[in-house]
Amino acid sequence: MENREPAEFAAAAWIARREREDWNESDSEKLSAWIAASTDNRVAWLRLNSSWQQTTRLKTLGAQVPRGTVPTPEQTSVPFFNSSEEGNPGASTAVKAGLPESTRKRPAWFDVRVRVAAAVLVCSTITLAWYLIPRGPSYETAVGVLQAVPLADGSRVTLNTNTHINVHLTTNEREVNLTQGEAYFEVAKDSTRPFVVMAGDKRVVAVGTQFSVRRDGEDVRVFVTEGKVEVEGVAATGSNTVQHATQLDAGSIAHASADGLVVQKKPLAEVEQFLSWRSGYLAFDRTPLAAAAAEFNRYSKRQIVIEDPAVAAILVGGNFRATNVEAFVRLIESDFPIAATVEPDRIILTGVPAPAPQLQK
Amino acid sequence: MSETVDDWFVREVLPHEAALLRYLARVWPNAADIQDIRHDAYVRILEGADRLRPTAPKSLLFSIARNLMIDRARRHRIVPIDLWEDLDSLNVLVDEVTPERRTSIRQQLMKVTAAVNQLPDKCREVLWLRRVESLSQKEIAAQLGISEGTVEKHMMRAARLLSDLLTERDLPVVRAEPQTGTAEDHDHGK
Repeated sequence: MENREPAEFAAAAWIARREREDWNESDSEKLSAWIAASTDNRVAWLRLNSSWQQTTRLKTLGAQVPRGTVPTPEQTSVPFFNSSEEGNPGASTAVKAGLPESTRKRPAWFDVRVRVAAAVLVCSTITLAWYLIPRGPSYETAVGVLQAVPLADGSRVTLNTNTHINVHLTTNEREVNLTQGEAYFEVAKDSTRPFVVMAGDKRVVAVGTQFSVRRDGEDVRVFVTEGKVEVEGVAATGSNTVQHATQLDAGSIAHASADGLVVQKKPLAEVEQFLSWRSGYLAFDRTPLAAAAAEFNRYSKRQIVIEDPAVAAILVGGNFRATNVEAFVRLIESDFPIAATVEPDRIILTGVPAPAPQLQK
Repeated sequence: MSETVDDWFVREVLPHEAALLRYLARVWPNAADIQDIRHDAYVRILEGADRLRPTAPKSLLFSIARNLMIDRARRHRIVPIDLWEDLDSLNVLVDEVTPERRTSIRQQLMKVTAAVNQLPDKCREVLWLRRVESLSQKEIAAQLGISEGTVEKHMMRAARLLSDLLTERDLPVVRAEPQTGTAEDHDHGK
């Protein structure tokens, strides 16, 4: 009663303060102390923070407007009935819901086809959700977004672009299901509960260590920077029989594909280079342009396209901001005999015949 | 099991807020008290869960809310007679997995978008520039021509309003049904 409003105001103030540039460890401690001071505070914090966290989803919409601008509410309304959009412009305003009069004005609601479509959509959404409901919290990042997530056991996960994980912590196991993308794990030591990352039919098991798992369909790569992990293949048919287990220690890069498992031992610095995405950068060292372009394409809707094999084979090096594909292309253009054609959803790189000096291979 | 009580609360209790508010609004005569009753119910269920985590959080939440209303009604002694009848017949829902939790990522995005779109203009702009564009408070202040302190005030207001806006709205799934929503049917029991 008298406690709610002050607690909610204070919780909102903490949320706003946490968005400051200079937020630090000691601020975090003060926040924890405030939350622990009363259940009123704790309730207000959990409720407001959970809503605030949901706004990260808006990043999906951010890609549709120019950087640094705020779209109008109309621009961000998400159409709900895809099927009826074209023939019925009114349907897209349905989403702006919350406005009761728009519901009444819409004759299309009573169109049989729309109602059937709605019923089908509702049923399929519920069925799909039933199967997809994870047993624990799940986290996802949009294309070009990087996010660190603390887990309840003290471990920390950094999600790379376009990544989705489900987390399931029990008394005897900690399981993270990497359904898509790439994530770096800093595992809190707990010898009683192994930390398992599932990536398709591969299990990556760690006790207390730091490693990254990247999944491209059924291809799984594991990069180990500290401690030991084990990669196991799981028989896809029926029982969860473990087929084989391979131990990896720090400096290992394992690549599991349909053809089997290949393990390379590298200097730690080289492994770290594969993980530079954690700071938002991509590092290349005599990397074929085709491979570099494929990396950039993970972070952006605007895809680099290279058709000329001679261009694809050019070797590039350097550090680039993962989300700034334009800057990368400008550099390539100025340093190599390459022309870029920029289109809304792609950038085409083609070789230009060099006049006097020979094209470098 | 090893999930923290706080995570459990966010996952198992908060999603029932819309249903809880509808129930309170239906039974309790004074709209001004509803958010306070909701808050007190959360406090009790969270303190209880610290000792033992309930298996049927939604039913428990509603019966706690009911008990809180009875306490209040006794204390204030200004309550219309029919309230007692309403309170006695607490035959709300017992389905634990409500449609609130079975939402797709797309629906969650729509829900958040609609809530954010209802924020006051300045709050909405500040939230967008910070959360989507990741501008610093200083950059936001420069872009909007306001002080950093004001930016933080708008952010604070946005944070406070957002929870209410998120639960005020029903899910699109419910609106897609012609007249009577499915969630309503569940919640009103009877």
